[in-house]
Amino acid sequence: MSLEAQIQANISGFELDLWLTVASGELVAVLGPNGAGKTSVLRVLAGLTPLDSGRVRLDGVVLEDPAAGVRVVPERRPISMVFQDYLLFPHLSVLENVAFGLRSRRTPRAVALEVAHLWLERVGLQAYANRKPRSLSGGQAQRVALARALATRPALLLMDEPMAALDASTRVELRRELRHQLESFDGVRLVVTHDPVEAMAMADRLVILEHGRMLQIGSPAEVAQRPRSRYVADLVGVNLYRGRAHDKVIALNGGGSLTVAEGADGDVFAVVHPRTVALYRTRPDGTPRNVWEGRASNLDPQGDRVRVRLEGSPSIVAEVTPAAVRDLGLDRGDPVWISVKATEVVVYAA
Amino acid sequence: MASSRPRLRGLSAPPLFILLAGVGAAFFVLPLAGLLVRTPWGSAWQLLTSTEAITALRLSLLASLSATAIAIVFGVPLAWIFARLAFPGRNILRALTVLPMVLPPVVGGVALLAAFGRRGLLGGWLEQAVGIHLPFTTAGAILAETFVAMPFLVITVEAGLRGMDLRFEDAARTLGARRWTVLWRVTLPLVRPSLVAGAVLCWARALGEFGATITFAGNFPGRTQTMPLAVYLALETNPEAAIVLSLVLLAVSLVVLIGLHDRWLGAS
Repeated sequence: MSLEAQIQANISGFELDLWLTVASGELVAVLGPNGAGKTSVLRVLAGLTPLDSGRVRLDGVVLEDPAAGVRVVPERRPISMVFQDYLLFPHLSVLENVAFGLRSRRTPRAVALEVAHLWLERVGLQAYANRKPRSLSGGQAQRVALARALATRPALLLMDEPMAALDASTRVELRRELRHQLESFDGVRLVVTHDPVEAMAMADRLVILEHGRMLQIGSPAEVAQRPRSRYVADLVGVNLYRGRAHDKVIALNGGGSLTVAEGADGDVFAVVHPRTVALYRTRPDGTPRNVWEGRASNLDPQGDRVRVRLEGSPSIVAEVTPAAVRDLGLDRGDPVWISVKATEVVVYAA
Repeated sequence: MASSRPRLRGLSAPPLFILLAGVGAAFFVLPLAGLLVRTPWGSAWQLLTSTEAITALRLSLLASLSATAIAIVFGVPLAWIFARLAFPGRNILRALTVLPMVLPPVVGGVALLAAFGRRGLLGGWLEQAVGIHLPFTTAGAILAETFVAMPFLVITVEAGLRGMDLRFEDAARTLGARRWTVLWRVTLPLVRPSLVAGAVLCWARALGEFGATITFAGNFPGRTQTMPLAVYLALETNPEAAIVLSLVLLAVSLVVLIGLHDRWLGAS
C-alpha cells in the first residue's frame, strides 16, 4: 500500500505544485509556514479540491487523473481526514459521530454503533458515548475525531494540524498519545503541521512546503542537518548560506566568502552552527581560516546561551555564553571580530 | 456593585434620548393596552366560542399551517440554491422572491389573480386541463398566504446556510456521505435554528395575512374567511367581537415571538 501523488492545482490564484510518495505504515509530515498550502495538499488528496493536472494514486488505484478524465469523488475515496478543529458534528452524540462514516457507507445501524463503541473504547472514551461534542476537552475531541476517521478503515489518513487546537500545557502528553494511536494504524499517514517540534517528533519523513512548492524531503535528521531553505534553517537555528564553490572557497550569494576544509564545485549550501562561531574583541591570530569583522545588531538570551546576531559580510548568528558576552563587553552596535573554522562549515550541493 | 453598574451606565445617556425612547415604547404599549382595556371580558368567552369565530380560527390555523408546510417544501431548496449556487440572474431572482415582503399585500393579491385567476397566465389552463380552481377557494387562501409568507422562510434559511461552516459538509463527504446524506444528516440539522425561526416567522406572517387573501380568495365564511378577515368584518357589525378576536391573534403572536426570542435568537 502506498500513496503516489503528483499535484498541480491553481486554487484561486495560489499555485500548488509538488510530488509526493508515502509508503504504507509510513508517517510523513508536511511542514511549512502558514500559507504554504499545506491544508490545500490534504484537500486535494481527499478530493475536496480538484486537480488541474497530475495524478493521485493510492494502492495502485488511480483516484484522480485529469488528463485521463478520472476523478473519484471524496465520498468514494478510501481516505479519511482529521480536520484542524476536528469538526465533530455538534448535533450528534460522540457515538453517532464515530458511527457516521459507517452509517454513510450503508452499514446497518446496530453494527455501526457497535463498531463505534469499540473505537471509543480504543481511544478510552467509551464513557462519553452519549455526550455531545461540545462537552469534550480539546484532547478528547481530537481522539473522537481520530476514532471517527479510522472507523471506516481508510487506506490513507490525513491529519491537518492535529495539535493546533490544543493547550500548550497538554500538548506534549497528547502528542505522545496521538503517536501511540497512530502506530496501530497500518495505512498511509500524512500529517500537516507548522510546528517543527511536532513534525520532528512524529514523522518518519518530512516534506518541507513553502509557497505551494516542495523544498525538501527527507528524514527529520537529514532535514535538520542539511536544510535547503531559510525557513528550515531558522527552525533548527543554524546559519544557512548559498553560494558558488570553487575548490575550497565559497563565494556567498549575499556577499563575503567562506573557506571550507574539503574542495567542492558549483552551486552549494553551506551551514554554520551558531555554537561554532567564535567572537573576539581584537583580530585573532592563529589557524581559523574565516575571520572577518562584524557589528552586533541584537543580543537574545536563550537559557544558558546568548544568541548574538552580527551584521557583516556575511552576516551570521553566534551562540556564546553570557560570561563571554560579559568578557567581551559586548553590547548592541559594538564592533566585534568573528571567526569560523573551515572544518566547521558543512557544505552540500544545492 | 455589579448589578448597579448597568443602571449607572444607562443614566449617563442624554435625558432627551431616554425621553424619545420612552415615547417610542409608549407607541407600542398603548394600542395593546387599549385593546386589553376595551375587551368585554364578561362576554369574551361567548364571543370566542361563537360558530363564526371558531370557523374562522379553524380555517386560519389550517391555512397558515398548510402555507408553512408548502413554504418549507419549496422554500428550503430555494434558500439552498440562493446560498450555494452562483448562476446568472441569481440576484434578480432573489429580489423577486423576497419582493412580497415589501409589496403591499393587495398588489400581491392582484398579481396572483393575474397569474392564477380564471383569465390568468396559468389559471385558465389549470381550470380547463387539470380542473383546479384557485381564486375564492380555501386553496386560494393558502396560496395567497404562502405567497406573502414564504420569503420570510427563504431569507432566514438562506442566512443560516450562508453562516454555516461548509467544512462540516467536507468532513461528512470524506466520511463517505453522499449528497442526500450530507443534506439530511449534516446541513439541515446544522441550520435547524434558522429553519425553525424561518418556519415560525413564516407561519406568523401567514396567520396575519389579510390583503392578498381578501383580494385573491375573497371573504367567504368557512372557505376563505380567516381570522384577520373576520376581525375586519366584525369591526363593522360587532366591534366587541373584533376586539376579542384581535386579542386572540395578539396572544398567539406574542407567545410565538417570546418563544422564538428565548429559544432561537440566543437572548438570555
